[in-house]
Amino acid sequence: MKVLIIGAGQVGYFLCERLSIEGHEVTLVDRNQEQLRRAQDRLNVLGICGNGASAETMEQAGIQGTDIFIAVTDLDEVNILACLLAREYGVKTRVARVKSIEYSGGGARLSKEKLGIDLLINPDDAVAEEMVKIAGRSGTFDVAEFVEGQIQFLGYRIAEGSPLCDLTLRELGEIRGMYRFVVTAIGRGGKTIIPRGDDVIQAGDSIFICAHQKDLPAIQYLLKLEEEEKRKRPRVFILGGGRIGLRIAAELERQRFDVRLVERDEARCEKLSAKLKRSMVIHAEGTDISTLVDEGVEGADVFIAVTGSDETNILCGLLAKQHGARRSLILVNKPELLNLAPTLGIDACISPRLAAAGAILLHVRRGEILSLATIEGSNAEVLEILIKKESGILGTPLRELRFPVGAIIGAIVRGDSYEIPTGESALQQGDRVVVFALSGALGRVERFFE
Amino acid sequence: MNAILTLRILGALLVFLAAALLLPIPFSFYYRDGAALSFLLAAAVSLAVGATLLLNCRSDREFSVREGFAVVTFGWLFYALFGALPFVFSGAIPSYLNAVFETMSGFTTTGSTILTRIEGLPQSILLWRALTHWLGGMGIIVLSLAILPMLGVGGMQLFKAEVPGPTADRLKPRIQDTAKLLWGVYVLLTAVETVLLMAGGMTFFDALCHSFATLATGGFSTRNTSVAAYDSAYIDYVITVFMFLAGVNFSLHYYALRGRIREYWRNEEFVFYLLVTFGATALLVFFNHGTVYTSLADNLRFSAFQSTSILTTTGFGTADYETWPVIAQYLLVFLMFIGGCAGSTGGGMKVARILLLFKHAQVQIYRLIHPRAVRLVKLGATPVDREVMQAILGFFALYMGVFVVASFLMAATGMDLVSSGGAVIATLSNIGPGLGTVGPADNFAHVPAFGKGVLILCMLLGRLELFTVLVLIFPSFWRR
Repeated sequence: MKVLIIGAGQVGYFLCERLSIEGHEVTLVDRNQEQLRRAQDRLNVLGICGNGASAETMEQAGIQGTDIFIAVTDLDEVNILACLLAREYGVKTRVARVKSIEYSGGGARLSKEKLGIDLLINPDDAVAEEMVKIAGRSGTFDVAEFVEGQIQFLGYRIAEGSPLCDLTLRELGEIRGMYRFVVTAIGRGGKTIIPRGDDVIQAGDSIFICAHQKDLPAIQYLLKLEEEEKRKRPRVFILGGGRIGLRIAAELERQRFDVRLVERDEARCEKLSAKLKRSMVIHAEGTDISTLVDEGVEGADVFIAVTGSDETNILCGLLAKQHGARRSLILVNKPELLNLAPTLGIDACISPRLAAAGAILLHVRRGEILSLATIEGSNAEVLEILIKKESGILGTPLRELRFPVGAIIGAIVRGDSYEIPTGESALQQGDRVVVFALSGALGRVERFFE
Repeated sequence: MNAILTLRILGALLVFLAAALLLPIPFSFYYRDGAALSFLLAAAVSLAVGATLLLNCRSDREFSVREGFAVVTFGWLFYALFGALPFVFSGAIPSYLNAVFETMSGFTTTGSTILTRIEGLPQSILLWRALTHWLGGMGIIVLSLAILPMLGVGGMQLFKAEVPGPTADRLKPRIQDTAKLLWGVYVLLTAVETVLLMAGGMTFFDALCHSFATLATGGFSTRNTSVAAYDSAYIDYVITVFMFLAGVNFSLHYYALRGRIREYWRNEEFVFYLLVTFGATALLVFFNHGTVYTSLADNLRFSAFQSTSILTTTGFGTADYETWPVIAQYLLVFLMFIGGCAGSTGGGMKVARILLLFKHAQVQIYRLIHPRAVRLVKLGATPVDREVMQAILGFFALYMGVFVVASFLMAATGMDLVSSGGAVIATLSNIGPGLGTVGPADNFAHVPAFGKGVLILCMLLGRLELFTVLVLIFPSFWRR
């Protein structure tokens, strides 16, 4: 497919990378020659220098015949205008990144339909949503939901002394009778492995499992995550009262968390306090650990750092853990730091560009794919696929099919029941399968199910 | 301060008062009470003085904040001075000081009276008493200015100076339009109450006078024994409900009439006011049970009426609460300080201020526990400005200060302790009946002349919420 991306910032760069690896024809437009050169040198894309909202630049970039148009510059107005232009050129799918809630809120007068945009994506909101999801699920560092929340895709870190340590997957399979789940991937040293029967789970690994919602308590028990009695109102510390911090606080407050929001600017503190109902707003620096200890960071269930500085987030996340916070979730902008933080002991790193890109990728590839999530720190994705009548694989056991390398089926949902996939499983029309795939295998996976 | 401009506007206000003085005349003719001439004479005096000021004082200076304070304070004073004339001319109240006391009590919706015998006075005089309440209740200066737009003054300043409460709501961009809407709600509620009271057996005249006094939270009755004279549970309950409504912010009634009933529950002040009303009534029922009243129906009827009457600062009476247990009286004194909601016709310190004082104290204690926490005082979902909070703290201190000083002055005239304090709070909070020798079964006729002067000032201070009047004391206010 032909893809045109306006804006070579972080989101734009990441989207270029993903889409070009998947074999799409990607053109990137930006005003900054430097940024363009960086993308062109490293990625298999065509760069055009110019104003993304001008018709001339667009024609130069080959807007005619483009299937997917993605506007992700830093300026809302440019993105919106570019999408309006793209509509005039007859581009079918149009996506814009918009930061201002004026356009994306529920009560917006200028709806996305009127603006000619199929998907409005706000990276801040995407991050906040992700953080809230992970904060609400104890022990995980990544959460995604499929098949209306029935199937949960969860990432866990394996610590020293975990009951899963040093078990092979085959051994795990023996207790699977009790604990029904699939280990779809193991993250080890920055690499993502699709495990086979004799692979061993080691301390320090991240494992990604796929399980049904109702089996979660048993899994949590297996992973010894429920040892400490669950609090009625889990305590959450949020560092950084920017837009993201405020959104997380407001949402967690609604979910009856005991929220304590730390912000260093006093005027901003007052604004936050005006907007939040029950949260405690604390005027302090994130590194001022004695204040945080006074306010109870020791008993915190989750520490979330979402300041504008990656370094502050990482440092404060570590400090908080050292002082007794049970989990640290942090915001990381720089891609280089994304893989470093987990090795230091941070439980989860969320990147706005990944969160936004995930939502955009899902949208531009919709069709057979019902739902999709990008996996933090890896180049893998989880897809939910509906099996159609025309599919050539109906009724044949999976063992006899050549399932693509670099991908694995995590769950099969058939109506109200669901199945743990084995070699004997056979797919039927109307099934919904959750597939974990490395990005190189995505194209093959899509073809496999067609 | 520009005295010329102030005098010109005061002149216009007096012309307006002259028109208001003509209103009782048709009643006078209908009842043949012989007081028509006094009203005509009073109107003529008012018109003459007013017109003289209006025509002779010309100034092209801009109307500023300072003139606003002066116009409101002196406007109310002038209304009391000239509004007292019919009482004197008709002979109903021979002493001019007493007449001014009665009129100020009327306009400020206090309801304290110096009359020993009310029945038997000319009907038009009784109507004028009720009318002073009704005109003063919703803010007479703003009403005058809304009706007399030719002056070109209609600033938020006057509105703020006259509307009770820490902040004033604006329903419309223009003050005049806001005032008209609020007056519309006021007229409507008055009409509904009049009809309901007539359904309970009152004559049209009595129903009208009592409705005027209820909606303004005034308290002047046409009977010697106030509402108790009708001895009807129906009338008691109708008046109780309307006193309660009059103590609510009229903006909320406006929204409700426009179909936004939910605004009541979203308003934290209203919810608190409701709780105080029900809580106080429940406590009074408990205190009076078995001691004063044996039947629960009677107990509820009289307790609810008295607590609402005192809390909203109306001051109607159906029972002599001085015969109640001391603890019940103490509770009523407590209610006297609270008063109605901001933006209502009620007096007192206002529910919003009391609520914010509590919240402020709560935040102070919270700050001791969490020194680095930032927490704002909020009313509903909106944070209260620091300046507003400071003004409230200042107001509270001043209110107590005025109460103490005025009580001291009253005691200096030879009144006993309870009566001095009772008289001051009854007038400062614009309630009406106080305690001791000025209790609900007595009147203010026996208070010495000096004491009456102090109480007149208290009424004015209470109605205009201290600051508007007190700024005039500062010498720098008068300098250019």
